Amino acid sequence: MSYVVEMLNIRKEFPGIVANDNITLTLKKGEIHALLGENGAGKSTLMGVLFGMYQPERGLIKVNGKEVKITNPNVANRLGIGMVHQHFKLVENFTVTENIILGSEPLKGMVLDIDKAAKRIEELSKHYGLNVDPHAKIEDISVGMQQRVEILKMLYREADVLILDEPTAVLTPVEIDELMKIMRNLINEGKSIIIITHKLKEIKAVADRCTVIRRGKGIGTVNVAESSEASLAEMMVGRHVSFKVDKKESTPGEVVLKIDSLSVKNNRKVMGLKDFSLEVRAGEIVGIAGVEGNGQTEIVEAITGLRKAESGTILISGEEITNLPIRQRNEKGISHIPEDRQKRGLVLDYSLVSNMVLQIYNKQPFSKRGLLNFPAMKAYAQNIIENFDVRSGEGASSIARTLSGGNQQKAIIGRELELDPKLLIAVQPTRGLDVGSIEYIHRRIIEHRDKGNAVLLISLELDEVLQLSDRIAIVNNGELVGEVIAAETNENEVGLMMAGVGKERSI
Amino acid sequence: MKKRKFGLVMSLLLAAGTMLAGCGSDEGDSSKGKESDLRVGMVTDAGTIDDKSFNQGTWEGILMAEEDLGVKTKYLKPAGTTEAEYLKEIGNLYDAEYKFIITPGFKFETAVFQAQDKYEDAKFVIIDGNPHNGDYNPVVKDNTVAVFFAEHESGFLAGVAAAVELKEGEAGFIGGMEIPAVQKFNWGFQQGLKYANENLDTNVTMKAENVVYQGSFDNAAAGGQIAAQFYDRGVDVIFTAAGGVGVGAINEAKNRAKAGDNVWIVGVDVDQFEDGKYDGDKSVILTSAMKKLDQVAFDMVQAEIDGKFPGGETLTFDAKNDGIGLPEKNPNLSEETTGKVKEVYEKVKSEEIKVSGEQGDLFK
Amino acid sequence: MRNTIVSLISIILGLVAGGILMLFIGSNPIEGYSYLLQGALKNLERIGNTLATATPLIFTGLSVAFAFRTGLFNIGASGQMLVGGLAATAVALTFDLSRPILLLVMVLAGLVAGALWAFIPGLLKAKFNVHEVVSTIMMNWIAYWTIYYIVPGYFKGEFLETESKKLAESDTLRTPFLTEMFDGSYINLGLFLAVIAVIIIAFIIEKTTLGFELKAVGFNRFAAEYAGMKVNRNIILSMLISGALAGVGGVALYTGNASSIQIGILPAQGYDGIAVALLGANHPVGVFFAAVLFGILYSGTGFMNAMTEIPPELANTIIAIIIYFAATSVMIERLLNKFKAKKSNKEDKSGPVVEKGDS
Repeated sequence: MSYVVEMLNIRKEFPGIVANDNITLTLKKGEIHALLGENGAGKSTLMGVLFGMYQPERGLIKVNGKEVKITNPNVANRLGIGMVHQHFKLVENFTVTENIILGSEPLKGMVLDIDKAAKRIEELSKHYGLNVDPHAKIEDISVGMQQRVEILKMLYREADVLILDEPTAVLTPVEIDELMKIMRNLINEGKSIIIITHKLKEIKAVADRCTVIRRGKGIGTVNVAESSEASLAEMMVGRHVSFKVDKKESTPGEVVLKIDSLSVKNNRKVMGLKDFSLEVRAGEIVGIAGVEGNGQTEIVEAITGLRKAESGTILISGEEITNLPIRQRNEKGISHIPEDRQKRGLVLDYSLVSNMVLQIYNKQPFSKRGLLNFPAMKAYAQNIIENFDVRSGEGASSIARTLSGGNQQKAIIGRELELDPKLLIAVQPTRGLDVGSIEYIHRRIIEHRDKGNAVLLISLELDEVLQLSDRIAIVNNGELVGEVIAAETNENEVGLMMAGVGKERSI
Repeated sequence: MKKRKFGLVMSLLLAAGTMLAGCGSDEGDSSKGKESDLRVGMVTDAGTIDDKSFNQGTWEGILMAEEDLGVKTKYLKPAGTTEAEYLKEIGNLYDAEYKFIITPGFKFETAVFQAQDKYEDAKFVIIDGNPHNGDYNPVVKDNTVAVFFAEHESGFLAGVAAAVELKEGEAGFIGGMEIPAVQKFNWGFQQGLKYANENLDTNVTMKAENVVYQGSFDNAAAGGQIAAQFYDRGVDVIFTAAGGVGVGAINEAKNRAKAGDNVWIVGVDVDQFEDGKYDGDKSVILTSAMKKLDQVAFDMVQAEIDGKFPGGETLTFDAKNDGIGLPEKNPNLSEETTGKVKEVYEKVKSEEIKVSGEQGDLFK
Repeated sequence: MRNTIVSLISIILGLVAGGILMLFIGSNPIEGYSYLLQGALKNLERIGNTLATATPLIFTGLSVAFAFRTGLFNIGASGQMLVGGLAATAVALTFDLSRPILLLVMVLAGLVAGALWAFIPGLLKAKFNVHEVVSTIMMNWIAYWTIYYIVPGYFKGEFLETESKKLAESDTLRTPFLTEMFDGSYINLGLFLAVIAVIIIAFIIEKTTLGFELKAVGFNRFAAEYAGMKVNRNIILSMLISGALAGVGGVALYTGNASSIQIGILPAQGYDGIAVALLGANHPVGVFFAAVLFGILYSGTGFMNAMTEIPPELANTIIAIIIYFAATSVMIERLLNKFKAKKSNKEDKSGPVVEKGDS
């Protein structure tokens, strides 16, 4: 069988870091090829090289057996290579058709021939089972549908090789199943696909072969059918990985967080959280399970002070904090791993040093009488970076923006745990992380519990909530549906409660 | 204050001719080709060299001198309008051997006060101002001439012309800043209307609400708005003494005239007929109340070359020495009007009619 | 370092473009630029004047740069200068104090006035999320007309109404020691104030917790809020400091470079401050040098015009071009990167030979 794409011995350097070191990846015609690696392993860089966004320092690219130099994405497009980025590049208030033809508008004489384009898009959509309405506006369609528009865009430009960068990160489980169906349709029609991911389940479900890279180095290519999730994980991380969270029985102590009949408005100025009550004790992890947008954000922001409580009270170790400013809450021992790490968690243009002291820069020894003490800040940051294995180009002085998403997340978690909070609020702490990191983070959170601290965990991944929590509170439509003991429940029971089917509120 | 009228030897024909036709047509004239090693410099006031007002008027006079007297010329544009910035440019001209320096505008008063001491071998002409040290005690040194105009007389003639031409109607006034040179135009204009109403059988009136000082010389948009208000209130003719603000008013008038309205503007400082043109040859400029800046600048250069520089004097240019007046050609005025205005002009010249430069009981 | 290179390249490109313009109108650019430099630096008096011209620009550049660092775009430096200048002028014309105390009070008055003038947009931004670009521009005009009302009403000169009464020489920032040292130049104590301001602002931005907070708010107000910083308080504080700087700039302009305040003019230094800040890469020391460069350009133009046939308008074009290149420094950075990449590729010739992609 012939290769459509061959990337041979690719090397790409960025200041202070070798992103790709002698990596080889070959793509057969009509296969789904997974590119697996931890966060920051160099997957996106490698695909960037193939798509013409970076020029490799060394190495060779062949397309259909012919050596090529891909100097920019337009060249890649002409070679039949298309890429769907993790963050879509669509114009919100344009229609599907307008978005797809943007940049290669078909003309009839001097005027745009939208109808012709729409017709062709409809045909393509039908042919590959994409089910996209060419006249819908982007802002009106779901994220999954937007992704299909991106795929259509590639097909419209007659791409034969499709690169999908972490395509499932933004999708719901149902949408993921549909995407896999679409991918199979595509290869049946003779297309070839490279899918960047670190989700082993999906690789097993859909990919034919898998190339693994670790810390910029190519580890090898395997046939997926012949490998297990565990062996893939081991290749990726370089050691044995356990998927099971080991933890001792919890020994709940005094109440650390007490929420009493709390009501909070959401962004649309209606009650997003209604009459909500919850206790979290020292030495236990309480998980909040629920479908996205059912009051989780409101709970978190009300506790941390980012959002005003309309009524009800919040107590930390018996002290009321309902109306305290954010800093005083932090000083009372609340720490918060925020949902959106780039919006809330980091000042992306600050160095890691500055980010690591973001809440405590005004405390000794980091400053004295308003003057910053840089050596102390740096030492503190370096300690976190080492402990949490935060990888960056220039160590503590790296600008946060230059870190990969996973390393940004590790930095935030390290910062929050280093504060040794009485109450840790962890929102989606492992989102976007690879299995190795997930395992590590989970271990640290449990350690934190075992030291006698309270943890409030909010996650949309039911697996994570079930595995990590001691107790689970389920929310639906801004209301508490019920509480269950994690060890005594299962996915089905919690799933039903998430859908709003209540349970006795007694434990 | 020692004030003396200075008689001018001037050719009105040349003045008007040069101004309207520019100065390209008389190549090869035998009177040309004179050479003089005098270097004449000018520092511009706020605004550009083509401001249709002070800067441009003065500069045109200097260019006339270049053409006819063979002097070298140069203007400099200061970065701002502080005394220091004016002085800097005067210094630059001096260092570049331009030692006959004309400064248009009262804003140069303190700068020229210092310069006349600092550069004793240079000559200065300040227009519309008197050198002083910030205390308004004028000190005109022997190397300096201060020049004033009788704006009220110019405004008076424009008022008479407007009234006689329109016979009946309503007039308004838009000023720039509320400073004497502008106020005197206004007061003169009002006196002119009154004179015509009392003596020449016209009925053109003015209301207090139709006298507005916009507050700047460059806000054209505001000028347009004020003009629109006036016209909406039934004003037929607006006298603008407001630089760029007046340009806005002229544009408003042009728009209305194109739409068929019968509205007029009386221009200021220079003949603004060209600025008011629309639909080919028509213009909304009824006439213009001129200060003959170009003529004065030219005459001062001439006097210097002839060795008659009136150093130390404060000169006033008025009807008597033809330093003010209406344009030679007024296509929008009937012959009858032109004739009557000429008569009035003679009377002002002979002081039979006295125009006051004070507010008295006039509007603002 | 990188910023310095980018700024220098933008200046050189601007000068080259200006030179081409001079060639185009038939002048010799070498001669033109040499007269420009002579005009700015030929003798002590001219050097003094150049520095004095730069002084208000240092203040407004700092003002804009400081706000920029906090994520605010202060276009109101002109208005803040006006009220600062008015406050200082009013103090000088009203109180009869000994010179050192009077000057101190004048500077403080200008500082407070400028700060208050910027406080309003800051408050509007913090409380009602009114964009500061709109509100500072509005405040410029409010200042313009306030001066227009107050100066003729309370501090007007004897005959003319467009200027305030002239300050006595001893009531200005000019001091005999400097004036004599620079041969009668109008250089004044404002320059020392500006240097002190550069040091203080650099210190605040780089070394203090206040600077840490302000920058954090500027880069990402959501993260700053998350970290417990008072975002609104910081926005107001930043505007206050920015306004205070511009206010003292007004003191330097109206009671140092000039001796009176004029009505009907928004000082151009306020807007030039934006360009100075851009060219100085929003760094206090960069701002200082950018302002001095602007001082040289503004100061030298007149002499260049006087000695050559270059029209006065051209010098302004050159400055505009330099600003343009400074504003597009991103482009220059990208070019630099490309150049570097090419160089490293060339060194890498030992690697596999690749042929051009088919197209």
